[in-house]
Amino acid sequence: MTQSIKKVLKKPWPFWLGGILLGLANVILLALSGISWQITSGFLLWGVGVLEWFGLDPFSWEYFSHFPVYYNPIIAEGNVFLNKYTLLNIGVVIGSLVATLLASQFKLKKIKNKKQLLFALIGGIMMGYGSRLAAGCNVGAFFSGIPSFSLHGWVFGAFAILGTWVGIKILVKNI
Amino acid sequence: MSVIELDCLSELCPIPLLRAMKELKKMKPEDVLLLHSDHSCVPIDVEKWAKGKNYPVEVVELDGGEWDIYIQKPKKSREGI
Repeated sequence: MTQSIKKVLKKPWPFWLGGILLGLANVILLALSGISWQITSGFLLWGVGVLEWFGLDPFSWEYFSHFPVYYNPIIAEGNVFLNKYTLLNIGVVIGSLVATLLASQFKLKKIKNKKQLLFALIGGIMMGYGSRLAAGCNVGAFFSGIPSFSLHGWVFGAFAILGTWVGIKILVKNI
Repeated sequence: MSVIELDCLSELCPIPLLRAMKELKKMKPEDVLLLHSDHSCVPIDVEKWAKGKNYPVEVVELDGGEWDIYIQKPKKSREGI
């Protein structure tokens, strides 16, 4: 492997280049599939599927009446586990895996201790809950919100910065 | 001079850097901190921070997605960390 190829595969690309590539990919995705990039919608639908196994009917909940564009096609004929949202998430995993393998940096990571497990669970629940209130995460609400000229992307960004600042303060005190 | 090891495997940014900063504060001048990490952003982040502080720093990429990062606390601490 020559030195320059190694550098491209191993070293981080500049932010501006990553931003341009992500922006272009999002435009292409929107043109081809009719949805912009989003992560948590897929997980939400998996959650619906799991609850359906237990006899619940989450699609009848008021929440889903607020986003008919997204969820009506899934409710009508789609599969909660196999749909374009799930494909997007699988794509992210495969893309990351390829990048990691090309850089020879793949490693299965362990859970360090019970504290890490507990904090990861609490953090995951808070992020999942928050992403439903905000109708998206960093990607769906922020990254895809701003280019759609919607105010919510900017509001999300401002409060994500605020939340990160508070989070870092708590982290520094507890480390 | 002694070497202090910090096991930051399975830890994500910014936790390893915060732990390194805390550890370096306690160390004596010329002591070396050896930080183990398996998160690709950590060596970049820690190296950038250490260079900004003018601390001698060396990153070694091991096989299989692990890194060893060596940081030496300078002789005279010009400023608090």
